[in-house]
Amino acid sequence: MVDTTKNTQIYTTWGRKMAKPVNPNVAGKMIAKAKRPLLVVGSEILKDEKLVEKTIAIAKKGIPVAATGHSITALVDKDVDAKYINVHSLGHFLGDKNWAGLDGQGPYDTVIFLGHKKYYLDQVLAGLKNFTDLKNLAIERHFMQNATLSFGNLKPEVHLEALDELIENI
Amino acid sequence: MSDLETGHFSIDDLENVQITIGKIVGAIEKKAKEEGVEVGPTPKPGISGLRDWDYTLLSRYQPVYTPVCDQCCYCTFGKCDLSDNKEGACGINMEAHQARETLLRVITGAAAHAGHGRHILHHLIHLYGEDKPIEVGPSNLIAPNTQAVTGIKPETLGDLEEVMDYVEEQLTQLLATIHAGQEGAAIDFESKILHGGMLDHVGMEVSDLAQISCLGMPKSDPEAPLVEIGMGCIDSSKPVLVVIGHNVAGVTNIMDYIHDHGLEDKMELAGLCCTAIDMTRYQTDQGQKPQAKVIGTLAKELKMIRSGVPDVIVVDEQCVRADVLDEAKKLSIPVITTNEKIMYGLRNRSKDSAADIIEDLSTFKEPGALILDFDVLGEVAPELAIKMSKIREEMGIKALPSEEELQELSAKCVQCGACEMDCPDNLPIMAAMRAGVDKDFSKFEYLHDKCIACGRCDQACPKDIPVLNMIEKASQKLIREEKGLMRAGRGQISDPEIREEGVNLVLGTTPGIVAMVGCSNYPDGTKDLYTVADEMLKRNYIVVMSGCSAMDLGMYKNEDGETLYEKYPAKFLAGNLINVGSCVSNSHITGTAIKVAAIFAQRNVSGNYEEIADYITNRIGAVGVAWGAYSQKAASIASGCNRLGIPVVVGPHGSKYRRALIGKPYKEDDWKVYDARDGSEMPIPASPEFLLTTAETIEELLPMLAKNCIRPSDNNMGRMIKLTHYMELSQKYLGHRPDDWYKFVRTETDLPLAKREELLKILEAEHGWEIDWKRKKILSGPSMKSDVSAQPTNVKRLCKEGC
Repeated sequence: MVDTTKNTQIYTTWGRKMAKPVNPNVAGKMIAKAKRPLLVVGSEILKDEKLVEKTIAIAKKGIPVAATGHSITALVDKDVDAKYINVHSLGHFLGDKNWAGLDGQGPYDTVIFLGHKKYYLDQVLAGLKNFTDLKNLAIERHFMQNATLSFGNLKPEVHLEALDELIENI
Repeated sequence: MSDLETGHFSIDDLENVQITIGKIVGAIEKKAKEEGVEVGPTPKPGISGLRDWDYTLLSRYQPVYTPVCDQCCYCTFGKCDLSDNKEGACGINMEAHQARETLLRVITGAAAHAGHGRHILHHLIHLYGEDKPIEVGPSNLIAPNTQAVTGIKPETLGDLEEVMDYVEEQLTQLLATIHAGQEGAAIDFESKILHGGMLDHVGMEVSDLAQISCLGMPKSDPEAPLVEIGMGCIDSSKPVLVVIGHNVAGVTNIMDYIHDHGLEDKMELAGLCCTAIDMTRYQTDQGQKPQAKVIGTLAKELKMIRSGVPDVIVVDEQCVRADVLDEAKKLSIPVITTNEKIMYGLRNRSKDSAADIIEDLSTFKEPGALILDFDVLGEVAPELAIKMSKIREEMGIKALPSEEELQELSAKCVQCGACEMDCPDNLPIMAAMRAGVDKDFSKFEYLHDKCIACGRCDQACPKDIPVLNMIEKASQKLIREEKGLMRAGRGQISDPEIREEGVNLVLGTTPGIVAMVGCSNYPDGTKDLYTVADEMLKRNYIVVMSGCSAMDLGMYKNEDGETLYEKYPAKFLAGNLINVGSCVSNSHITGTAIKVAAIFAQRNVSGNYEEIADYITNRIGAVGVAWGAYSQKAASIASGCNRLGIPVVVGPHGSKYRRALIGKPYKEDDWKVYDARDGSEMPIPASPEFLLTTAETIEELLPMLAKNCIRPSDNNMGRMIKLTHYMELSQKYLGHRPDDWYKFVRTETDLPLAKREELLKILEAEHGWEIDWKRKKILSGPSMKSDVSAQPTNVKRLCKEGC
């Protein structure tokens, strides 16, 4: 079992309300229990084929995917429910209870983030943290202090191991 | 009673008495009336003057707040935790505080430009007099931003003083609203942000009009000369004088001294940041050769200093690193500060003789000097550089580590990851260190283009490893090859150019203007700029450059060894590449849009900002890109574009501006305007979708640019061209046809020609549109009609009477 809760050091920004560190088995179960989960995938997955594989594996569990940046290029023709959207727009729409979602099926309750630039996602999460009541789960390599729950800072190989464990628990 | 005029008057009977009349109440209106110019409803608007227009924009493009910090620590009531949109002790909530924070940044940026403008205006009036005419090229509308905002049609340098009075007064009023216990509504802070941005473009315009008129800079010249750019173009065997900043006022004295004393071939004069751009514009309007070289952007400052190449550094204002003096001292490089905005604690030597200053600095009695007298500066800087060159050579100054030291330093690394975590782009420094132990320095080379040279890695390292120096040393071969060409800033787009191209822009047959502006804080290196510009130029967009982006674009060459400045012509026509100039030249980009409304569409421009902005919003397909935006000035420039309805995309680092303006395409009611012919409501396409947003990568950016150039006024040919580019770019960079392409289709002639039949089938099968297959016509389905006579407007009062 991978412990993803040890290193939660932050380097730049500050807030009193911080993410709780979470282990992959707990995160996986949380995704499994969510009524309307959404996996938000960023372009950083394209830098590592194994991250693409993990993304597809999570999506194949029936989780719809919001593909931000140009991450959609790795997901077309992969038989997953993925749609392109700009992450800043997505952050805006997620705060609108009248938004019907990417598939018209209604608002989401749990949003999972993978494959984003740390500083960029930090800002998107800051908006979601302060202006929505969504559960935001960061399964990134870095501790995302503005999420609701987040993995800690991880080495790349440990991160991949943690994602495997998370997938097993969905 | 005869009319009074401004100016100086003497009274015969009174000796030593002179009366000066500076301003006359109602003078703007009177002068306009005499000239037959109609002044619109808002000359010199106050903070609330354009509030209704702002509210119109903000109802479609809602503020999106992404706080950098959850606290407010402005006053001693706090610190207050505002998380979850809580109120602080003063009653302000998170939304309003974020809007206030954004406003502070915008007016800081606007003040930087306006302060620059006032400084150079004073300087030039001192040299050339108030009556010096403004000469910027073959245009009647010479100050479009100024005229649209203030109603003033300036003709002389003296006229610009009144414009600056207005800008400064308004900036003071805006700054006052930041204070605790002032504005409490986010929406009104937002309106103030747009006001600050608008003022910024006036301040920038004044700066550039004054310097173009007096300093022999190119005047709307598409043949402005090409200029050498890059760290590799500096001949370090000669004495090297490096200038950093944005305000070329004092630097022109240095250039004159070098020219007058025949020192051009005996030393190198090179610049960093926008002073560099303006140095290369100086005295080139008659076809002369540029007298300086450009090193590059802010991202090259620390690298250039640490290379040890400069013999003297002169700084003026804006985007100058705060540690220039400390870094220079380590390498025995004297620093001269020349502007009150940056003085570094140095002694004011403005009244001392050049010889005394040179003696003190060359013997290291003092590390530098503040020189505000530009005649003294003109002599000291080049003579000191010549002297220091010999002294520093004899001292054997060693700047960068040797290869052996590179390996030793790599071995010192304990792989703690602090540098990577602190790096703004989380660059893979640890991997470079690991490879460096085995004398493989290629991974440091890889970092060179991606690194913005902020030096935070050095600060973070617990082992005091000079990471930045290691990157620079390992990249010496690349740096030597960094030689490019940039077109010198040509100034504004002239009236005749607008007459020629305006119709194509409004109808969409020229698919759009992509303005690539701003600083060098790129998320993934500088080459991305080249890729974006080249792709859009190939597709016949007009690409306009300015500031640091203009410089970095000149650093890259295609397979034929050409930069884009050599490859593409520089007229204001489809498929042309224009460099308007330095940071303050950004005003010419908004000025161009205003000119299209005023010249092509014959809209009254004076004091008629709302109507002009409304015209631009609905008709001119222009998108700004500040891919490496880092500064407060970039925030104010973008806000000024936004008030005119021009959308701006910033790179992912721009999310740290903490606020965007994004629309909701799924809310149909937000995408309606009036038809000014009869006041009826008409649906419009959801474009631009935003006024300010971020993109994650250039692959995402490219289709965004094409899509957000679509405007309600496009004719069928124009819409077809724009839609073709949007769909092709989505396919090329995102690997799929965009989901929303059909929402921009009004009639079959809007469809990309090569795929018309295929797309008609999709419209029928997937969207239930009714198609007449015999005539290949759309019978029903689109939510919008195609009507080129429609007059889209967001402003009810602009509809015909009775609406």
